[in-house]
Amino acid sequence: MENMAERKVTMRIYGMTCDDCVASVAGGLKEAGATGISVSLEDGMAVLTIDDSRVSPESLAHIPVFTGNSRYRSQIRRVD
Amino acid sequence: MAREYDFVIIGNGSAAFSAAIKASEITRNQASVAMIGMGPPGGTCVNVGCVPSKYLIEAAKAVNFQRNPGYPGIKQNSPDVDFHALIESLRSAVVKEREERYVRVARSYPNVEIIKGFASFVSSDTVMVETGTENVQVKGFNFLIATGSRVKIPEIIGLNHTGYLTSDSIWDLNSVPESIGIIGGGFVAMEIGQALQRLGCKVTVIKQHDTIAPGIEKELGYELMESLKSEGISFLPGRNVTGVHRKGSKKIIEAASAGGKDIVEVDEILISSGRTPNVEGLNLEKAGVRYSSMGIQVREDFSTSNPLIYAAGDVVDQKYKLETLAAREGAAVASNIFDHSSKSMDMHEIPWAIFTEPQLASVGYTEEEYRRDQGKAVARTIPLNAVPKARILRQERGAIKIVVDSNSNAVVGVHALSPYAAEFIMEGVLAIKHKMTVKDLVENSHIFPTVSEGIKLAAQSFTRDLSMMSCCME
Ligand SMILES: Cc1cc2nc3c(=O)[nH]c(=O)nc-3n(C[C@H](O)[C@H](O)[C@H](O)COP(=O)(O)OP(=O)(O)OC[C@H]3O[C@@H](n4cnc5c(N)ncnc54)[C@H](O)[C@@H]3O)c2cc1C
Repeated sequence: MENMAERKVTMRIYGMTCDDCVASVAGGLKEAGATGISVSLEDGMAVLTIDDSRVSPESLAHIPVFTGNSRYRSQIRRVD
Repeated sequence: MAREYDFVIIGNGSAAFSAAIKASEITRNQASVAMIGMGPPGGTCVNVGCVPSKYLIEAAKAVNFQRNPGYPGIKQNSPDVDFHALIESLRSAVVKEREERYVRVARSYPNVEIIKGFASFVSSDTVMVETGTENVQVKGFNFLIATGSRVKIPEIIGLNHTGYLTSDSIWDLNSVPESIGIIGGGFVAMEIGQALQRLGCKVTVIKQHDTIAPGIEKELGYELMESLKSEGISFLPGRNVTGVHRKGSKKIIEAASAGGKDIVEVDEILISSGRTPNVEGLNLEKAGVRYSSMGIQVREDFSTSNPLIYAAGDVVDQKYKLETLAAREGAAVASNIFDHSSKSMDMHEIPWAIFTEPQLASVGYTEEEYRRDQGKAVARTIPLNAVPKARILRQERGAIKIVVDSNSNAVVGVHALSPYAAEFIMEGVLAIKHKMTVKDLVENSHIFPTVSEGIKLAAQSFTRDLSMMSCCME
């Protein structure tokens, strides 16, 4: 646990239209290792925490829920 | 308070529209997009470029057909041309095309806001837009600079006082001038020059280069010039225009060359000495975007020296200024931003054409370029009269040239001066893109009789004597 570097990541999410979408996006982010996930349908934004010794913030835009046939796309807006 | 958007596009031409549409498609209309543009929607191509020029060229072709039907037994006819009616129809075609392809399209994307005005950066994430009535601040996360290019006006003594036309203003003419002097001799000069000559104007092209433009296959360029000369266009190559002035209702062009001085008396002057990228006034320094007088410098993915700001189209420092390229680059930028793709463009796979008759179309390296860059090249040129369809058309002036890598035999350049060259150059694009060899070209069936069969014949000429072959054989 000593090497853990917690990062707060703010993402812009495109393609969400309903609460199911919010759940899908949050699920995809959780699978990628994110915690403390909060997804807003109204703002099209997600805020989450990652351990950047395991997951780089940049890689989040490329996880399955945001690529290929998935209807969602994302951009990293801020990493604190 | 600045208005805020996900994506701010500066410009409203081809690159801008295709970027806005692609961004909307990828994000299911959820990326907020601001498209800031001065001038009519659609930019150069639809308003003063491809669309009106091709319309005029086709109309002039119709006139020429009547005058020169080309086959014995068909009577020549000198049609009465009502230029005013013709140019009015051209203007209507432009309006229709603009409304259909740009104004209506823009309305169908609820996430795209059109802001009319001139934009300049005030910081790396904000531009100020002068709308004419107010100044609006627009803030964005990503930017695309797609401000295009404008006609380059050479510094010639007396030019402003004498007055001149450009490819922007020629569409305002209501009658064909009796004579015109075209200063500069690139693609636009050839296309508009031939159209005007066919519509009854006496055209003289005064240019610095001895061929059409640097970077094109010289032998085809010379042949095109010969073809245009045979229609009555005069060329004064190797000339520097030293001054222009008025003499009564006429305009006088003075040109100097190693051989002395020329005085050309004309009714109108058309400036056609290239285009310059629209970088001025954007305050690119404030945004950390590197540029030069050649345009904005971009990386492979079209991002600039500021990674959140991209550039596409004519404003980019790149080899070609083309509608198709601008539109593809705009879409590539949107994919790279919103789909995290890594789309880039290989200039050697980009075809271009001069829409004269015959058409000159080209893709890839010229023989000289490939030899310069790679040390060795093998090339073959066939005259157009070796192509049966050209003989049937009785349009035998021209040639088809293929350049290949001497080690791999892969096709690296295809160049054609021929009827329909702009249509069939696509075979060259695919050949280069997919690294096909001349053998691959030969082993594809071509429709007989077509001019495109000339590509196969040019490919065959690497290994056989065309005069010893029967029709259509492999
Ligand atoms: C006569 C002629 C014939 C042509 N024929 C062909 C052809 O047959 N085939 C082909 O492929 N190409 C052709 N072209 C080239 C083609 O028109 C251009 O390559 C293409 O239109 C470039 O598109 P763009 O989006 O980069 O820029 P543009 O279409 O020029 O659009 C840029 C827009 O941005 C606006 N703008 C500039 N600065 C600002 C600012 N600071 N703020 C806000 N707005 C700004 C401009 O007013 C303009 O509307 C031709 C060009 C000409 C002139």
